[in-house]
Amino acid sequence: MHALANPARFLRIARPATSWLLLVGLALAIGGMVAGLTLTPPDYLQGETVRILYIHVPSAWLGMAGWAGIAAASVSQLVWRHPLAAVAGRAAAPAGATFAAICLVTGSIWGRPTWGTWWEWDGRLTSMLVLFFLYLGYIALGSAERERGGEGRIAAIYGLVGAINLPIIHYSVLWWRTLHQGQSIGLSGSSIDNSILWPLPLTMVGFTCLFGAAVLMRMRAELAETKVEARMRRMGTA
Amino acid sequence: MNPWPFVVAAYAVAILLTAALLLWSFASMRRAEAAADAITRK
Amino acid sequence: MKPKNQRLVLVAAAIAAVLAAVLLAMWGLRDRASYFYTPADIAGGQAPAGQAMRLGGMVEEGSIKHLPDGVTIRFVVTDGKARTPVVYRGIVPDLFREGTGAVAEGRLENGTFVADTILAKHDERYMPPQLGNLAAEHKAGQTLEK
Repeated sequence: MHALANPARFLRIARPATSWLLLVGLALAIGGMVAGLTLTPPDYLQGETVRILYIHVPSAWLGMAGWAGIAAASVSQLVWRHPLAAVAGRAAAPAGATFAAICLVTGSIWGRPTWGTWWEWDGRLTSMLVLFFLYLGYIALGSAERERGGEGRIAAIYGLVGAINLPIIHYSVLWWRTLHQGQSIGLSGSSIDNSILWPLPLTMVGFTCLFGAAVLMRMRAELAETKVEARMRRMGTA
Repeated sequence: MNPWPFVVAAYAVAILLTAALLLWSFASMRRAEAAADAITRK
Repeated sequence: MKPKNQRLVLVAAAIAAVLAAVLLAMWGLRDRASYFYTPADIAGGQAPAGQAMRLGGMVEEGSIKHLPDGVTIRFVVTDGKARTPVVYRGIVPDLFREGTGAVAEGRLENGTFVADTILAKHDERYMPPQLGNLAAEHKAGQTLEK
């Protein structure tokens, strides 16, 4: 009963939430990107290249937030056996992997005109690449476990252990000397001038909404697939 | 070095990958929910 | 204990153990995982002489000299504690200029760093041109104090 009631209640909230997240996300992301391409001044040192900031930073945040979500789902899966936890983890993985990939590619494109290199094996770049490969591993593990009809416990343990990479990415620029610069936005404020900074919250919130929409759509897809599979199995045995 | 090709390339990658993620998620959701609806109506 | 709480304790213990292991490993790797050496490392003898390595620091104001052949430049990298002269043949990135950070790949030969590649390093501050030119004077050294 517990296993049935929860997905039903989830769907009642998820259906309208998906459309809202898509709408708000598209409006904010597109608005923020247009503003970032046309309305803000260039940087005094980097010039126009600084505009990559408005997509690079949200994708870095979502690449990491995606795994934080997987880790949270893993805990609730391992401890409370929440029936939707494994579904949520599997749904977050492709979205997180996509944004980690966007972060890596836009960072590489940004690095060429500013640093003079497409790629360097410094602490920040390497740990972000590791995150991307962790996602691929999680996706493979999750789908394998789902096919076998398992509870997803192995993927959950993997998701939990992989979360170790998150503080490494975050602190890599503080602990080690890296080519990547230190963090610009912290608790004590921002070292980005307001005239350049202001579209960033728009794309941050916008892409986060789109990320949420993608996760909800993947969850709804898997729940519907599970329903069909269960029905097929019952018809097969009957 | 002219910065605009780099800026445009970065935005193109971000937009294309995000759109691909959303379209793929949407298509798989549509397909699965249609199949589930068809089965419950039977 | 209820099985749910038992699992909670187990998971918490596992997280703590893995976290401790990784922190220990990172502490051990602190120096080896550094992307570049600083002039102070070279002065202190910690940098491998004659081997391929990276040198990072601020390009000292007024130190860039173009040699008569047109492709070779000499400059001095400093971290506030020590200075290392660098010689490089080739094209430098746009952002390579005096008073900003740079990373050079190459070898140390008789106290001079012979670079094969020059990378520009920038700091975490972004601002429009009018503000930037004012601030550029008193910014040196910020990204390197780690």
